[in-house]
Amino acid sequence: MEEYYLICEDSLEGIFTGIYDAYLMRKSHEQIHICLGEEENLRLFAVYEQRITDEQKAAKVARTIEREFGVETYLAICRALASPEADKGEAVYKTVVAGFRMGNRKALMGNLADPYVHRVFELARFTANEAHFHVEFLRFQELENGILYSAIGPKNNLITFIVPHFADRLPLENFVIHDEIRNIYALHPAGKDWYLVYGKGQAEELLHRFSEGEKAYSELFCKFFHTIPIKERTNGALQRNMLPLRYRKYMTEFQSL
Amino acid sequence: MESNLIVKKSEGMSLMDKLGILADAAKYDVSCSSSGVERKGDGTGIGNTVAGGICHSFGADGRCISLLKILFTNECIFDCKYCINRKSNDVPRASFTPDEICELTIQFYRRNYIEGLFLSSGILYSPTYTMELIYEAVYKLRTIYRFQGYIHVKAIPGADPELVQRLGLLADRMSVNLELPTAEGLKRLAPNKHRKNILTPMRQIQQGITQNKNELMVYKHAPSFVPAGQSTQMIIGATPENDYQIMTVAENLYKKFDLKRVYYSAFVSVNEDKELPAPAGGPPLLREHRLYQADWLLRFYGFEAEELLDEKRPNFNILLDPKADWALRHLELFPVEINRADYQTILRVPGIGVKSAQRIVRARRNGNLRFEDLKKIGVTLKRALYFITCNGKMMYPTKMEEDYITRNLISNKEKLPFDRDGMTYRQLSLFDDYKEAEWKNII
Repeated sequence: MEEYYLICEDSLEGIFTGIYDAYLMRKSHEQIHICLGEEENLRLFAVYEQRITDEQKAAKVARTIEREFGVETYLAICRALASPEADKGEAVYKTVVAGFRMGNRKALMGNLADPYVHRVFELARFTANEAHFHVEFLRFQELENGILYSAIGPKNNLITFIVPHFADRLPLENFVIHDEIRNIYALHPAGKDWYLVYGKGQAEELLHRFSEGEKAYSELFCKFFHTIPIKERTNGALQRNMLPLRYRKYMTEFQSL
Repeated sequence: MESNLIVKKSEGMSLMDKLGILADAAKYDVSCSSSGVERKGDGTGIGNTVAGGICHSFGADGRCISLLKILFTNECIFDCKYCINRKSNDVPRASFTPDEICELTIQFYRRNYIEGLFLSSGILYSPTYTMELIYEAVYKLRTIYRFQGYIHVKAIPGADPELVQRLGLLADRMSVNLELPTAEGLKRLAPNKHRKNILTPMRQIQQGITQNKNELMVYKHAPSFVPAGQSTQMIIGATPENDYQIMTVAENLYKKFDLKRVYYSAFVSVNEDKELPAPAGGPPLLREHRLYQADWLLRFYGFEAEELLDEKRPNFNILLDPKADWALRHLELFPVEINRADYQTILRVPGIGVKSAQRIVRARRNGNLRFEDLKKIGVTLKRALYFITCNGKMMYPTKMEEDYITRNLISNKEKLPFDRDGMTYRQLSLFDDYKEAEWKNII
């Protein structure tokens, strides 16, 4: 039996396009696979096809997923696709296939005994957890011009999942969240909607000139941070469990250490 | 002995010094959660709240830092024996101004250091006078600074009830500390406090919340009163109560006062006093941990205090968590069939938490679950395997025998949330597994 590998762009739209095309092929889904970029080891008796991302196809798939499986599943799939793992496309595709075979399609994400659904669940959970860590541990610094600036370095591409939280919380602030790994900036002008900007050249030198108040308040917070623990209960292992070391690089209270 | 109260003028003291003194004085209050109320920002100020609460950092003791936890002042007319701020202690004293509190809160909040303010205070002149100071600070923060984040304030026993009422309309959570589990303990260690005075504001807040819920049903935009509910805390190990007494008190607080949370605080010896015990190995952390585990069983697992302990066994097993301990005494109820048992029954199996139980009930609609599926779902099989069957079969042939299962459960090390080095209960290194996620929620 011939196997087909659809090579898709590593993005939500790219993978949704792949799913659309896979259904268009009208072959058994067991024969079709979705992969990202070039496979390292090409298989014998397999056909590799490059797929070009198509916004319209992607939008159709997105609508179908949300309509058929509900918002919860749609969000889980979006979170799973924010993962850096290479098998995410295949997992999402086969999850959609599994969903259409179920009686109650809205219960798709509950079907954890299915290996693909479980994989999507796992990937989505990792993104959700990491996003939650960023909501907790992200720190803003006030620049000279009053803008709040924050740098993050997440494993998953989660910026779009966290900005709405801060936009609701700080509606009257100008703030910038910068994903250093992917070079994505989320910009929130005071009182307006936020948007994303991709790429370098965002006046780097401005980002390292902090306001007068910044030093004072970051020192006050460090004082608070070092005062509040109870000496008799010192517990570095618990602290490490709750606040993984990789986040500390970006956190005000750990800079002086 | 009024001269013992050394009042150092806090005017001229830097904000840094004040924060140092007043955070240090507030740190023994356990409550730090910012949960219980979901409120979006309205776009005209700063802040929102999230139902699950948000921790923003974790201190060197592993406790979460969610709120700016400070006292308004650490001057106090009371002389509670366990308290660092008692009037007979010679410690540096300081007071904030309402504006200083507002500035700190807002500036910390915009930088995402904190989730809101936790404001408590020593008693300056009188309970009512102190509550007025707290009210002024919170009022300013809400109205002038337009702060819509989380605010937790202490209601001070003995203060004017009208002030409690007004403050409740500004705060998200209020708490009155029970301090010690029984009235006798309170009498001995806190001579200026009375059980009745503590329960009065607690009852008032409870009634305020109930009444407010009714108002909100009629008028959607009625201001909400203590929407995140009230909590309390008691010190464990300073007085000789047993775990059964403590759990009964906690259960009563949940049932009769509708409390959201009861916190247990392992006694930390800060004062030397003949009335106080001098715990040899530091604070009784394992005991505190067992109480929290049991507290979880009361609130989320449908257990009653009576089921866990009784007059004959008034203390928790140090080797086993309360749920495993209960299951071992009720082997006649096990094993349960995962594919058929109802949710409440599954919830009582050791090694299965609330999330796993929910996932099991959802996942089994699509077909029978096997042991490998349970593993993926998050069940701790090495603990659960003695108590469950999948499709009529146990995972391994197992004797349904108390001694045998106990031995096996104990030989799996329990993951305790504190180190063994330098801590109490060093000798107890043989523990069963405990889910980290559950511990995370405690804090």
